[in-house]
Amino acid sequence: MKNSFDEKILEEANDWIEANQKVVLATVIQTWGSSPRQVGSRMIVNEKGDFSGSVSGGCVESAVVRECMGLIKDNKPCKKIEFKVSNENAWEVGLACGGEIAVYLEQIT
Amino acid sequence: MKHSQLKEIIKKKASKTEFAIVTNLENGLSEIYEPKKSLSKDFDTHKDQIENFFKSKKNGVIENTEIFVETYIRPTKVIIVGAVHIAQYLVDFARSLNFEILIIDPRGYFATEQRFPNLKIINKWPDEAFEEIETNENTALIALTHDPKIDDPAIKHALNKNFFYIGALGSKKTHENRCIRLRQTGFNEKQINSIHGPIGIKLGGKSAPEIALSIIAQLVEVTYKK
Repeated sequence: MKNSFDEKILEEANDWIEANQKVVLATVIQTWGSSPRQVGSRMIVNEKGDFSGSVSGGCVESAVVRECMGLIKDNKPCKKIEFKVSNENAWEVGLACGGEIAVYLEQIT
Repeated sequence: MKHSQLKEIIKKKASKTEFAIVTNLENGLSEIYEPKKSLSKDFDTHKDQIENFFKSKKNGVIENTEIFVETYIRPTKVIIVGAVHIAQYLVDFARSLNFEILIIDPRGYFATEQRFPNLKIINKWPDEAFEEIETNENTALIALTHDPKIDDPAIKHALNKNFFYIGALGSKKTHENRCIRLRQTGFNEKQINSIHGPIGIKLGGKSAPEIALSIIAQLVEVTYKK
């Protein structure tokens, strides 16, 4: 059973938007093997690359920040990215735990 | 996601209702799901699966689709009896963990807005206070006054309502005496043994924030066993 612990990332996203920042919401939507954060874990990124929250234990956050900034720059609504050991991203950022995760990025408009 | 929808989700969370967010990962459209509320055509074809996720309180992508479901459940209610020093630290920990907190203390000089800003404080004796609070087996009690006049009625209520967690501050001796009193009022051994007393996991600390940490750690542990 899921518990109700919650990191208040959506509330923070709203604060950022009300401070006139552009915000992309990144959500872990699937995991395979051992991954540090569970499905539903979130982080937010603004156009400057400031971020809050997490989608892994620090393994792929830098890549997620880059992708989110790209989404804002290209003005795209959403994108799905996967991080796997075999993924070329993984050589660079990599999930040290050997797990795989899929992260969904969506711009809040 | 639209900003207006984000605000609606935040509002729903604040009102402690249970709902889910459904998102189409292909086109980015998302909607709020609530039982007995109709969904748009896009999501309605997957209504049964969405309902299953909601009922089992799970997050995930519906198999063979591009639809992601994220469920929100009501926060666990934690009632603190005694607006004491430890409670001030407990409130901070409990907030970061998204527990819903309320404090009961009939002693007006303890339960002040200045000591506990933005918190629901009920300035009444427990028996009276519980008349205005909805409690059930999803509620936790942390009794901190170690004064039988205040703690005992709250513990009795919690035992009768099958709270999933009951913890009471006080030394081993204080707790033994508490158990004797409860036994005399007709509570059985199983009920009495379910009380965490002395409260908290053994950390070794003695300061107010350390005791608060040991209590909240125990509460989280028990929450996962629920």
